[in-house]
Amino acid sequence: MSATSDWSERSRDLAQLLARAGTGDRAAFATLYERTSSHLFAVVLRICRDRGQAEDILQEVYVNVWRAAGGFDAAQSQPLTWLTSIARNRAIDSLRRAQTQPQLQTATNPDDEDSDVYDDMADEAPGPLELLSRASDARALSHCMQDLNAPQRQSLALAFYDGLSHAEVAEKMGQPLGTVKSWVRRALLSLKTCLEQAAGRDDERSETRS
Amino acid sequence: MDYSRSELADRLAADYVSGTLRGPARRRFESLLPAHPLLRTAVREWQARLMPLTISIAPQKPPAAVWKRIEARIGGAVPAPPARTLWWNKLAVWRGVSAFATVAVIGLAVLLASPGPAQPPVVVVLSATGTADGAVPASFVASISGDGRAMVTRPLVNVSLEANRALELWALPGSGAPRSLGLISASGATVVKKGQALAGATALAVSLEPAGGSPTGAPTGPVLFVGKLQL
Repeated sequence: MSATSDWSERSRDLAQLLARAGTGDRAAFATLYERTSSHLFAVVLRICRDRGQAEDILQEVYVNVWRAAGGFDAAQSQPLTWLTSIARNRAIDSLRRAQTQPQLQTATNPDDEDSDVYDDMADEAPGPLELLSRASDARALSHCMQDLNAPQRQSLALAFYDGLSHAEVAEKMGQPLGTVKSWVRRALLSLKTCLEQAAGRDDERSETRS
Repeated sequence: MDYSRSELADRLAADYVSGTLRGPARRRFESLLPAHPLLRTAVREWQARLMPLTISIAPQKPPAAVWKRIEARIGGAVPAPPARTLWWNKLAVWRGVSAFATVAVIGLAVLLASPGPAQPPVVVVLSATGTADGAVPASFVASISGDGRAMVTRPLVNVSLEANRALELWALPGSGAPRSLGLISASGATVVKKGQALAGATALAVSLEPAGGSPTGAPTGPVLFVGKLQL
């Protein structure tokens, strides 16, 4: 099962649950929570690291989802995309507030140039780069990832999964800020162009089939 | 900056969705979203592109206590009427904000024709939300005096109301419950003198209420018009 088709399939059931939650149906909302909270919690936890804070954020996310469910438009976005975006936004906002208490470990040994940039991550969670390659199981996404060079992939993964700012990615990779910015930008643009082309090919295929 | 340029909109949206847009820039971008459909579209497209990447993060079950707290916040096990959904937090309310803005600007030019004294008035356009049944397709304009003490509202088009209904104006603070600014006329200008209530408000809204105004002190009817306040 490819990542994006799995994403779409999970979203289909969720659209109904969201619609019912939007009319005040608590049972539907509870089911929605059951099906999605583990995913959103993982996304938030990856960005803000602190479990207690992640729990607070998750709570805020779902209270907001409950209130905004009636305004969700299934024609405009997939439920899982919508939910994940809300969770990510909250998590990133929390980083802004916690800026005075830096959460990043600084490099363990600046002299050790061979050290992997992920060495200083204490947990055993997969590194952001590994996540990127796992997410690219889908044919289109996988194909598009190949267009990125290693530093582009790495900088995008650090920014997206771990919620690092450009400056933090630069620090982590030991590269100038401007360089990192342009890596992330090119990675995003390349993904966009590539995914759009892939979508175009899919459309052509379905047109010739019909 | 011209946010209607699609290339720039797309770049900002990419930074916003990927998470690298931070601090004041991120807040500024968010405040632009309600009024810029092009930005919203770009954001939606980037979300659709990037969010599936999160599928590879291993799920983590949150502790049961989180759901208990959510349940408590949304009103426990007691089934509540749909009205309990707090409309002022609904994203849909904001969606309509830009719809009538262009039309309203023409009206503004007329209203602003007489220049004020030292501090120019602030003008807020309240656009029809279009969410309520039988909502009237019109907008309100609220001009607030430079010192923030007085406000005049007037409909750009006459609003037709049933005899037993009234329009109530609300100040929406950044967080917390709306504060009533009193009833306003559906057909002409209303002078609102509740400057204090405007402090900290980020938006104005007009709801449909029973004659005499909301019996509860909070909006009870549908919100017909809403507008962002940028002082």
